[in-house]
Amino acid sequence: MNLALGRAGVTLGLAAAILGAVTVGYGLIRHRPELVRLSRWYAALVFFGGLLAAFAMERALITRDFTLQYVADNGSTKTPALYNFATLWGALEGSIILWALILGGYLVAVVLKFRKRLADPLVGWALFTMLVVCIFFFWLLVGPANPFKSFSPPVGFDGPGPNPLLQNHPLMAFHPPMLYLGYVGFTVPFAFAIAALVTGRVGEGWLLATRRWTLIAWGFLTAGIILGSWWSYEVLGWGGYWAWDPVENASLMPWLTGTAYLHSVLVQERRGMLRVWNISLLCATFALTILGTFITRSGVLESVHAFTTSGIGVSLIIFFALIVLTTVVLIGLRGDRLRSPGRIDSPLSREGAFLANNVLFAAFAFVILLGTIFPLIVEAINDDRVSVGVPYFNRMTMPIGLTLLFLMAIAPVLPWRKASGELLRHRLLWPAWIGVASMVFAVVVGARGFAPVVAFGLGGFAAGSAGRQLVLATRRQGWRGLVGRANGGMIVHLGVVIIAVAFAASSSYVRQAEFTLTQGQSAEFAGHTLVYEGQNVKIEEAKIVNQVLIRIDGTGPWAPSLNKFANGNQTIGTPSVRSTVTDDVALSVIAIKDGENGSVTVRVTVQPLIIWLWIGGGVMALGTLLAVFPGRRRNPIDAVSAPLSVEPPKEPTGATA
Amino acid sequence: MSSSSAFAKGSPIRRWGPWLAVAVVAVAALSVAAFGTRSAPTAQDRVSSISRTVKCPVCSGESVAESNAPASQEIRRQIAEQVQQGQTDEEIRSFYSAKYGQAILLTPSASGVNVLVWILPIVALALGIAALVIVFRRWSSMPQERASDEDRELVESALHSDEPANESDPHGEGASR
Repeated sequence: MNLALGRAGVTLGLAAAILGAVTVGYGLIRHRPELVRLSRWYAALVFFGGLLAAFAMERALITRDFTLQYVADNGSTKTPALYNFATLWGALEGSIILWALILGGYLVAVVLKFRKRLADPLVGWALFTMLVVCIFFFWLLVGPANPFKSFSPPVGFDGPGPNPLLQNHPLMAFHPPMLYLGYVGFTVPFAFAIAALVTGRVGEGWLLATRRWTLIAWGFLTAGIILGSWWSYEVLGWGGYWAWDPVENASLMPWLTGTAYLHSVLVQERRGMLRVWNISLLCATFALTILGTFITRSGVLESVHAFTTSGIGVSLIIFFALIVLTTVVLIGLRGDRLRSPGRIDSPLSREGAFLANNVLFAAFAFVILLGTIFPLIVEAINDDRVSVGVPYFNRMTMPIGLTLLFLMAIAPVLPWRKASGELLRHRLLWPAWIGVASMVFAVVVGARGFAPVVAFGLGGFAAGSAGRQLVLATRRQGWRGLVGRANGGMIVHLGVVIIAVAFAASSSYVRQAEFTLTQGQSAEFAGHTLVYEGQNVKIEEAKIVNQVLIRIDGTGPWAPSLNKFANGNQTIGTPSVRSTVTDDVALSVIAIKDGENGSVTVRVTVQPLIIWLWIGGGVMALGTLLAVFPGRRRNPIDAVSAPLSVEPPKEPTGATA
Repeated sequence: MSSSSAFAKGSPIRRWGPWLAVAVVAVAALSVAAFGTRSAPTAQDRVSSISRTVKCPVCSGESVAESNAPASQEIRRQIAEQVQQGQTDEEIRSFYSAKYGQAILLTPSASGVNVLVWILPIVALALGIAALVIVFRRWSSMPQERASDEDRELVESALHSDEPANESDPHGEGASR
């Protein structure tokens, strides 16, 4: 039943996507708007197909229908309900169902949003592009990543359940869907970029039509990345939250190019410039989501996220090549229209800062791409093995990150077209004082080392600059000074600063040690006192939990544990973290010795300001929401840029968009 | 209030004084941060910082510091011994790369083909900056375009006609600027 339902859903989705793409494509070429308008029905069918497939899989998982290979491989009668539900995205095939479902959802959302313009060739070609992407993902579900394979379970069969790491923390239920909402969301602006190239309407119309879509996708991707690092901090137990693991890099690369795009698109909206660059960035972002999926899912690189080695890798890399080829050819064909006669008057201007931002973000993404695939390159060149890990990424990205912080401090106060030194001196003084004050504060509370203190100073500088914009905007417009793209963007900047400071502090001042303690024994580490009180064994249905009870500075007891799962002989540790606003003490059990004295070995990681990473993530999400909220409508004839060769005003008088 | 001309509005001291103060405080804070006394790293800190740069030989992509595999625990113990014996960080690292091959180190060495991983990003960044410099040069040598009477007429006629200029492009998105 579930098998038939799921197969029906996948087949329906694939058929609707193919027929839809053919119909819409034919209608567009032959100028038959009535055919193009049919896209809404095909979109609905594609979405329904995805929904049916997801529903069938969830139903099979919940009813433990082991006649499905996927459920037999990843389900278990012992798995708790939440993790059982999340098993849909706990392995490769199921995660493609989620992808297809979200893609169908975005397709329907686009059709609803543009329902009055469905016959407009721009929207038509965008829907055509999205339908083609749908064909690819539903085809994966039919062919290389078929989740609806049958299995004949012997009597009394019970599956192994999902990977123990994936049933150890509730965040698992939220991080992958968020990430996929972000990844898949970039399909929408990508489709419109392709549509703009095909129709030749490469002006600003498609940008305005998709800017909120891009922002929403970006917001989901941001939230997904931060939830993912929170998950890894709470679950993996090595004391860190970001390991520059290939899958983390794969999610960060499209985030970086997407962030670059969100900034440079403003130059095009205002000045009509950088058309080729913006289209390239957007296509690169979409292509990188596919490349990232390839890197992590094909098993070419070892990673905790590489589910299996499967035939899906070839399909993904071909699809990636197709995207790149299509984009390059289309841009080449439209070269004449993409050229814009505008110019940027001065590097010391808002648009100049955005250009610098783009170069830095592109370099950042390049470093990460290079570092991630470099072991493959070396192996291909001279058959040698080499590892590129955390120390490399930290060393290479630190200077880029610091420069970006500096730019974040300068750029928000720059006017369009041209800034004078006088204006900068005036506007940046207070932010600079805040930056210096944060350096002094850091040094007074004991921070040492050049790079981290520079990071704190630049963080304060950037926060001052963002805060200054917000203060001016709220003075002028009341609460509306907090909404809209520019103001919401400044709140996102504040979130970024919080994360940057927390990252600099936690990675510079991390202290880690191992202690072997017998019952009642205590240890001193990094200003904290740990007392080992004893053990506690909890027997749950899916696992046996051996807890080690430890008091930290008299609080607690905190209970890091070793879990033995009923199925499989893997032992998985669960860390326990005491968070305060100043520092985190993370405990994880390394070994529990049997025997009389029953000593335990625990790893203690003390890192400052960790909690601010998650708070900063929340601020970024809030800022994105406020940015999506429509801001004050700008009077189209208001001056927004400083007039040339005239003394600029002391304070901005017009609203910035 | 001083009425002396050096402190008058717009004088260099009034304009630059506050920034000079910012710079002085910043330099002072940074020099304390960079050269001030700090507690020397303990043996334990050295062990954890070294083991963060050595890859766990049996797991995927984790460092010896992160991994709980018995092989990693053994290497951590060994590193602690080597630190006790007074070996330098570099000596310890090269010991492991000699024993397990260079892939055991998470930082690729700057020799042979590995140089590329360090050089290419710098080359790419330099190219990006060079490209920016070139476009700005070109832009600054471009003549400023002024609206001609013809342009004004075009705007005037567009403002007074109710019909969109181009049927297939009602929003004028295809028009190049």
